Amino acid sequence: MGEVILEMRGIDKSFPGVHALNNVSFDVRKGEVHALMGENGAGKSTLMKVLTGIYTKDSGSIIFEGKEVEFHNAREAQDAGVVIVHQELNMMGHLTVAQNIFVGREFKKGIKIDDKKMNEEAKKLFDMLHIDIDPTETMSNLTVGKQQMCEIAKAISHKAKVIVFDEPSSALTEAEIDELFKIIRDLKKQDIGIIYISHRMDEIKVITDRVTVMRDGCYVGTLITENCTKDDIINMMVGRVIYEEPKSHSMVPEDAPVVLKVEHLNAGRLVKDVSFELRKGEILGFAGLMGAGRTETARAIFGADPKESGEIYINGQAITIKSPLDAVKNGIGYLSEDRKRFGIVVQKTVAENSTMASLERYIKSIFIDKKAERDTATEYVDRLNIKTPSVDQLVVNLSGGNQQKVVLAKWLVRNCDILIFDEPTRGIDVGAKSEIYKLINSLAQEGKSIIMISSEMQEILRMSDRVLVMCEGRKTGEIPIEQATQESIMNLATRDVE
Amino acid sequence: MKKTKKPLSQTAIVFLIVIALYIFFYAMSPNFRKYTTLLSILDYSYYIVLMAIGVTFPLITGGVDLSIGTGLICYSLAGGYLVIHCGWPTWAGLLVTVAFGIVIGTLNGFIVAIMDLPPFLATLCTCMITRGLGSICSKNFGISWPVAGSPGSEFRNFVKLAVGKTKYPIGFLWVILIVLLMSFVLNHTKIGRYTIAIGSNKEAAKLSGINVKKYHILAYTISGLFAGLAAVAYSAVFATVQPGTGAGFELEAIGGAIMGGVSATGGYGSIIGSLFGVFVICLLKTGLPYIGLQANWQQIITGLVLVGAVLVDLLKNKKAAKV
Amino acid sequence: MKKFKELPFVKKVGMNRIVLMFVLVLMYIVFGILTKGKFFGIKRIISSLNYAYFLGFLSLGVTFVIATGGIDFSIGPVMFCCALISGYCHLSYGLPLGAAILLSVVIGMIFGMINGFLVSYMNVPPFIVSMAGMNIAKGVASVFTKTQSVSWPQLAAGGWYRNLVKVGNVPVGFFILIFFALICGIIMNKTRVGRYILCLGSNKEAARLSGVDVKKWQWLAYVICGIMVGIAAVFFVGAYTTVQPGYGDQYNNEAIAGAVMGGTSMAGGIASIGGTILGVFVIALLQEGILALGFTKDYQLIITGIIVIVAVYTDIVARRRKN
Repeated sequence: MGEVILEMRGIDKSFPGVHALNNVSFDVRKGEVHALMGENGAGKSTLMKVLTGIYTKDSGSIIFEGKEVEFHNAREAQDAGVVIVHQELNMMGHLTVAQNIFVGREFKKGIKIDDKKMNEEAKKLFDMLHIDIDPTETMSNLTVGKQQMCEIAKAISHKAKVIVFDEPSSALTEAEIDELFKIIRDLKKQDIGIIYISHRMDEIKVITDRVTVMRDGCYVGTLITENCTKDDIINMMVGRVIYEEPKSHSMVPEDAPVVLKVEHLNAGRLVKDVSFELRKGEILGFAGLMGAGRTETARAIFGADPKESGEIYINGQAITIKSPLDAVKNGIGYLSEDRKRFGIVVQKTVAENSTMASLERYIKSIFIDKKAERDTATEYVDRLNIKTPSVDQLVVNLSGGNQQKVVLAKWLVRNCDILIFDEPTRGIDVGAKSEIYKLINSLAQEGKSIIMISSEMQEILRMSDRVLVMCEGRKTGEIPIEQATQESIMNLATRDVE
Repeated sequence: MKKTKKPLSQTAIVFLIVIALYIFFYAMSPNFRKYTTLLSILDYSYYIVLMAIGVTFPLITGGVDLSIGTGLICYSLAGGYLVIHCGWPTWAGLLVTVAFGIVIGTLNGFIVAIMDLPPFLATLCTCMITRGLGSICSKNFGISWPVAGSPGSEFRNFVKLAVGKTKYPIGFLWVILIVLLMSFVLNHTKIGRYTIAIGSNKEAAKLSGINVKKYHILAYTISGLFAGLAAVAYSAVFATVQPGTGAGFELEAIGGAIMGGVSATGGYGSIIGSLFGVFVICLLKTGLPYIGLQANWQQIITGLVLVGAVLVDLLKNKKAAKV
Repeated sequence: MKKFKELPFVKKVGMNRIVLMFVLVLMYIVFGILTKGKFFGIKRIISSLNYAYFLGFLSLGVTFVIATGGIDFSIGPVMFCCALISGYCHLSYGLPLGAAILLSVVIGMIFGMINGFLVSYMNVPPFIVSMAGMNIAKGVASVFTKTQSVSWPQLAAGGWYRNLVKVGNVPVGFFILIFFALICGIIMNKTRVGRYILCLGSNKEAARLSGVDVKKWQWLAYVICGIMVGIAAVFFVGAYTTVQPGYGDQYNNEAIAGAVMGGTSMAGGIASIGGTILGVFVIALLQEGILALGFTKDYQLIITGIIVIVAVYTDIVARRRKN
């Protein structure tokens, strides 16, 4: 392994209310693949954003090729030779492959763009990487995997010295991953330093030289990949600190009836043959890493996205859910992780948002019974302890936790029996968090059945009566809470790809 | 080759429609077969083709320019007024006509790209503004550019050259030339490339270091420039330019462009396709009276065809997204 | 100023509307002074009210569409289409006046139903639908009336519908407009239709995920708009009796101007019926004032265009600041 090409020392970064990076250090050597691991929210992406100048660091230093540097935007970093291959692709679908690779720095012949030369250069790049892509193909005709290869080719064409791969394999097929690894090995030979962010344990073992683990914005440690086991890494990722006692046993009575039964649900790439049962009064935790397909499963059940196949039974009756309207009629409520986009109408008041899913009940002849509406809203503001000056307040002016409660109020007003919480505490401060937990628990006690999707291990362990683990669109296991541990869950969530 | 399949087929289909329509009218009406009919079809086509070429650029960025129709009349009136009433030489008047188009086009670009207004709204406003300006410029009278044969009318020869008793539609040659030129600009220069990039993925274009605002404005400037050129063609073909007209021209141009394969949601367009698309509309406009239908049917058909073309485009995209 | 904004009265009525009222009064006085007092007096008021009626209905209608985050700029020509076809039926086929008026509303509604269907169920961009609708309306009206203008009967000739506008000097139309504005206000603010329209205009996905049938309610906004356009047609002929095919575009912009000036956001989700009515009165007074000062209608076009651009830009800036 070569000398250190990039070093980040003592990086600190805070956002209002969050200490996102706390004295993190990290380095990459020439010709090395250095994995960066950690649970969701551990600070990996933030660190990379600091590196490429999308965020400015509060303190610490970045040393690149022996000199201290500070990039102000992705373009500056790119020009210097630090390039990110993003998870979500930044491609212009209508242009050809070669046109995309060289966009913004086209070769020219007089005023004419020299497409021929660009195609040749792109071809050379692809040859070097042993990729078979026609440079004159229109980008949108390529598979996601091929598009990613183009991103890599683009990175290399920038004379990159350090390439960051941000979960590159999440959208790739097995064959494509093999291809990707071949490319990465080639890049290593050319003395390029590679930072590889991934959740897939088997990949880490195959392709990387060192592994650095982060947790809660802190640096945990660095291991030589060869000398460590999967369990070593998992132990570092989950840590040993548990702030809250996990639930010791299920609160659901033995004879509680099955309320929701999903069988062989298929929807797109991230929901493959998912089956499970949800019982009355149960909190079913959906654990897994980012991109495991949990949100997609929830959305498919709720009718927000189309399904390909699968049956859904509510109280033993087969039902068809083609749109959220059907789901709501059948007593399902969905609280999205992205409240602003999918949960609330920010320009409307608390009262108006609370009755949005059950407005027909507040119609008197043809008018909306505003008094009844406000009374109901007031009742729920009290019950859920929503902090708002009045029910006429616009929701945009509330804090995240209170917005979440307004969404909850919407479904409670509707009297939904099945509630799907998707990351219920994301972006919510600690105090509001425990309040939301209390609420979820009391709802379960009242007999509501709850699916709780969460990427926070502690949240899963503390709240769930049973844990369902997903990985890459499939259900990889179901663990009764008595047997669930961080390790057992993480093992299922990062299960090796067959 | 997969990549050229979509654009080629659409252009080819529209081309076949043009041929089929021509044959249809040719078969239906003996009067349609006359040489003068062909001349009048071409006369009607020039200004619409020019507008369509120009508006293709804003359309590709995912926007639209509704001001080209009334704009055309406005620019022609302004230039013509200077020639007829202020004694300017014809060439100077024509120059003003084109320059006026460039100014309004750039203004549109500014309102869209810098002020961030929705393109249809911005250009709907400038559509009304140019309509008002046109009438004010000409003091609400029609303007007759120098008639053929009189001094200062040489520019009309660029469109139709009379040799002896026969007139030759040499304007068509110019149109072909301009189509080829703008095809080149769209497909082989930075301007075209970045226009497509903006329409395809504006954020990605920004991240690639493209000066998005500049090229976004430029797309509208081109549209304005071509509205100006269309004004010149219009002035050269028709005897009089009337204030208050021009509304609806933009539909013919935009409808032609979209029929020719420009995507209503941006990102893709073909100049040659736009040319054929416009000819479909011009043939309908000229041909319908020959088979006993009012010319206004063309308005209805154009509207229907526009919605139809967009629907086809949307369905195609939907299918593509599913794969 | 800040304190003034906090007053309960101001909050209730809305800053925007207070400013508009102020502008209205100020404009009246300024026009009065500029015309040396000639502007004061019943004649000008009645004349500008005549203009405000049909424009008010158009603007009320389009307010619903804008509230969904869409646009319809086919309303002017559609209004003419309604007036032309129903008038033609009355004059040429002996359709009773009452039935003709009903027909006008039905035609408007059909246009609204089709436009709304294309936008909400087929996902065609609203500007394309508007553009096509505008020309189809013009074309249909021209074909139906054989490109002749239509004059609805005068009061003396049994044209009782004119009493809807005014009886003697009593502005009946004013009361009808206010009555309809109240109904629209109730629909917008007190019924499920309005609630859902505003919700989906503000955040369509959130509304959909709450189990709201967003397509249906979005469609309904266009239908309401269509009905209002049909009523507007009746008040147009009530005030002016004669309609010509091929026109009506300018009223699009004025109706949209009324709505956006009144505080309805082009981005959707926020609408004010009271504001729309005030906005319409400003436009109507403006056009009367411009004529009184001896300017042509063309200045009105330009000023309205600028007003829309400024009003929408103000809204964009305000929203940007909030985020």
